[in-house]
Amino acid sequence: MNNTPPSNPLAWVNGSDAPEKHSLNIGFMALSDCASVVVAATQGFAQPYGLSLNLKRQSSWAGLRDKLVSGELDAAHSLYGLIYAVHLGIGGTGATDMAVLMGLNQNAQGINLSAALQRQGVTRPEALERFVHQSRTKLTFAQTFPTGTHAMWLYYWLASQGIHPLNDVNSVVVPPAQMLAHLQAGRIDGFCVGEPWSADALEQGQGFTLATSQSIWPDHPEKVLGCTRAFVEQNPNTARALVKAVLAASRFIEQSAENRHSTAQLLSGKAYLDAPLNSIEPRLLGDYHDGLGNHWHDPHPLRLYDQGRANLPYLSDGMWFMTQFRRWGLLREDPDYLAVARQVQQLALYRDAASAIGVPCSEHNMRRSQLIDGTVWDGSDPVGYARSFALHALAETPAARARC
Amino acid sequence: MLRILLIDDTEKKVGRLKAALVEAGFEVIEESGLTIDLPARVETVRPDVVLIDTESPGRDVMEQVVLVSRDRPRPIVMFTDEHDPSVMRRAIQAGVSAYIVEGIHAARLQPILDVAMARFESDQALKAQLHARDQQLAERKRIELAKGLLMKMKECNEEQAYTLMRRQAMSKQQKLIQVAEQIIAMSDLLG
Repeated sequence: MNNTPPSNPLAWVNGSDAPEKHSLNIGFMALSDCASVVVAATQGFAQPYGLSLNLKRQSSWAGLRDKLVSGELDAAHSLYGLIYAVHLGIGGTGATDMAVLMGLNQNAQGINLSAALQRQGVTRPEALERFVHQSRTKLTFAQTFPTGTHAMWLYYWLASQGIHPLNDVNSVVVPPAQMLAHLQAGRIDGFCVGEPWSADALEQGQGFTLATSQSIWPDHPEKVLGCTRAFVEQNPNTARALVKAVLAASRFIEQSAENRHSTAQLLSGKAYLDAPLNSIEPRLLGDYHDGLGNHWHDPHPLRLYDQGRANLPYLSDGMWFMTQFRRWGLLREDPDYLAVARQVQQLALYRDAASAIGVPCSEHNMRRSQLIDGTVWDGSDPVGYARSFALHALAETPAARARC
Repeated sequence: MLRILLIDDTEKKVGRLKAALVEAGFEVIEESGLTIDLPARVETVRPDVVLIDTESPGRDVMEQVVLVSRDRPRPIVMFTDEHDPSVMRRAIQAGVSAYIVEGIHAARLQPILDVAMARFESDQALKAQLHARDQQLAERKRIELAKGLLMKMKECNEEQAYTLMRRQAMSKQQKLIQVAEQIIAMSDLLG
């Protein structure tokens, strides 16, 4: 493991931890889980560390990726899978070394079906499985980025219900905020997306939630604060200061119910999510209904902080996405899972920043989780894990890639 | 093709630099004399580089250079016969990216312009960073001031004051600095 943090030698000469760069362009997508970034930038969490954060809202994950790689954005609210896909050179760009500075959240994505399917009685996973295998029409499911977390949750969940995500259904990419329009136009039958766009579809009477992402993997990794590795190497103090600012903001949001409430109000603003408070606030507070009459308080709601547990960039979290890329044929060969995760996850930098502002840090680099199909993931055998699934696309040529 | 706004300040030199530039493959827009309004010409011509060929850069030249760098920053290269280091220093302070004494050869123009443009870009980036830093410090001071006022008004501690200000800002979809300014204005009003 790379224990020596890459640093600017001049910083040591000067004995300074002052940021190398003071004004940063930070990309985000209009999603509830960008909360910590927006609160950090607008509520004075960055100035004490010598930073100004200029928020740049993006309209698609592909656009965000391109600007992150070109340097137009210094860092961004990113999908875990997006950072790894760029690092491994899967998708629209060549491989660029990337870095995960910290986790931004766990949980709070959803798989939803259209009101039309609901009218046909397809409201249970088993009913969907029967429909898919008996109906002549092939259903179309949308996710938000070919290698993104939503594609992986959708594929994982479908497969856990006996539906092959690449053979039994069509899969298309739609930017999060446009899901509703595509649903209304009848172009998609179901979709996996982050909040508030699941809740918003329900509010508009256009669909219902069939499964939450936390039902697939309780407290799963989701969005990260990502940047290029070059940015961290050239600006280590800035990167550390940025993590402190965003981490302090995430702690503030979860400090009280009032703070969460004000956060929902801020996010609904035109410059941020531009969505009704009704679609944002309930699920931000963990209050769910599925559009079929079921209400519950979710034991694994959106977590932005959770005493730092939501933020530590565990190696096993990064590795999991690579095992799924392998499983679905996006990677034709096994990467060196552990070595890649060690390059990308900036664990040492994160621990420095977190301990400097009193955020607790686990000393473990891996964590153990049990997923919906009963499999246990702890990072110990990624090659075996990637091959352990009944439904997969391991042997195929990269068909999934062609569909992107 | 690079577009160059060429300023000659003396009759006798007209043509000397232009020929070299055209030969090197640049698009050249020429102006004679420095009685023109340089910032306005820069605005209309939108050159990639401003090139000033002058026997000795006097006060008028420097004045024009200062105005351009302040209002419409562009890389400025100065060719001159003036050796005096104090004049050179004044020119650099005024915003000249490269100061070249004598000797104009077509072959040397491209590297000179490249250096001038690179230098200009890094100066601009530095200025933007410094500006951001000044603004941060100024905002931080205003926020601290507002926090102090609120602590007195509400008889609360520092953390509580910050939380109150942040909740107010977030519920109004504003930035913290905006709420800080409102508190300061309100406090002025109430004396």
